[in-house]
Amino acid sequence: MNDNNVTIFEKIHKLDIRGKVCPMTFVYAKLALEKMNPGEILLLTLDFPAAVKNVPDNCKRQNIGELMDIKEVDKEKKVWILKIKKI
Amino acid sequence: MDLTSEQIERYSRQIVLKEIGGIGQKKLLDSKITIIGCGGLGSPVAYYLTAAGIGSIKIVDFDVVELSNLHRQILHFNNDINKKKTQSAYEKLHKLNPDVNIEVVNEVLLPNNIKEILKDSDFVIDGSDNIPTKMLINDASVNLNIPFTIAGVVRFNGQIITVNPQEKTACYRCVFGDITEHEPSMSCSQAGIIGLIPGIVGSIQANEAIKCILKIGDLITNRMLFLDLLKYRFSFIKVARNENCIACGDNAINVIETHDYNIGDACFE
Repeated sequence: MNDNNVTIFEKIHKLDIRGKVCPMTFVYAKLALEKMNPGEILLLTLDFPAAVKNVPDNCKRQNIGELMDIKEVDKEKKVWILKIKKI
Repeated sequence: MDLTSEQIERYSRQIVLKEIGGIGQKKLLDSKITIIGCGGLGSPVAYYLTAAGIGSIKIVDFDVVELSNLHRQILHFNNDINKKKTQSAYEKLHKLNPDVNIEVVNEVLLPNNIKEILKDSDFVIDGSDNIPTKMLINDASVNLNIPFTIAGVVRFNGQIITVNPQEKTACYRCVFGDITEHEPSMSCSQAGIIGLIPGIVGSIQANEAIKCILKIGDLITNRMLFLDLLKYRFSFIKVARNENCIACGDNAINVIETHDYNIGDACFE
């Protein structure tokens, strides 16, 4: 995965990490957040259930991002979109 | 340059660290480290720095692998006996991480070549086995304003000091003065050495290099770390910069040009 997976749209960055499992979910989220400015939003699409908790927890612990919202977009396939604000 | 997906995977456990991240990993990939000696100390240093993704590593050694080296010099294997240590090291390190540019220098480190060898380095690691060479590394690195770490190991004991000339911390010469004038102390071959002590001390030296490049944590500066693995005593002793030190003091001289290091007289066992 590279920069092509991050699209910038009005200070909202999108990253699709479906198929990634922990800890790579956090690694990709962190790398995306490092490139953003404080206050900007990362919409993170993922399908690894444990990451729904782990990624926001680690972002908070390292003081790089704050969870704003969790949306379960596909219950059957278990896909979530996390809305994370860069700190 | 962005990290490739292979680099992200390879260094993921470092990127996860709060103190490193992608930004720190890129700093490591952009850095150049010189390791003097690829024996007992240089082996773990080179392994860990190569694995950590230091961009360029220069290894300086003139020696060949001997059977009696193998209990502690973990870069070298049984079938490397009589091979140049730099060649043996290159083969292992390149296999471990082809992402790293490994450069080898097959020369005895002397006053007339040391500055050329060290000049592009962001950090220098002493893994030599004799005090004159350690003093030469100290004097040249101070002169070039490059941070470095010097260590010594014998029996079950080790000692380490890191010097950052950019912050004017105490140098090796501040602590020991001109010990090259004294009788050489007993070397590994006579005193003996447990194989793992350079493994532990060298690993700490690698940690010093990584921390210095990333500017994280506390270095072993203005103090020395002493390890005694028989009694499990780990102690720091404070040391201070000597304002009159001929290498780093207020009126420092170009000591490399004028000093007689007696490198050839030192015990290279």
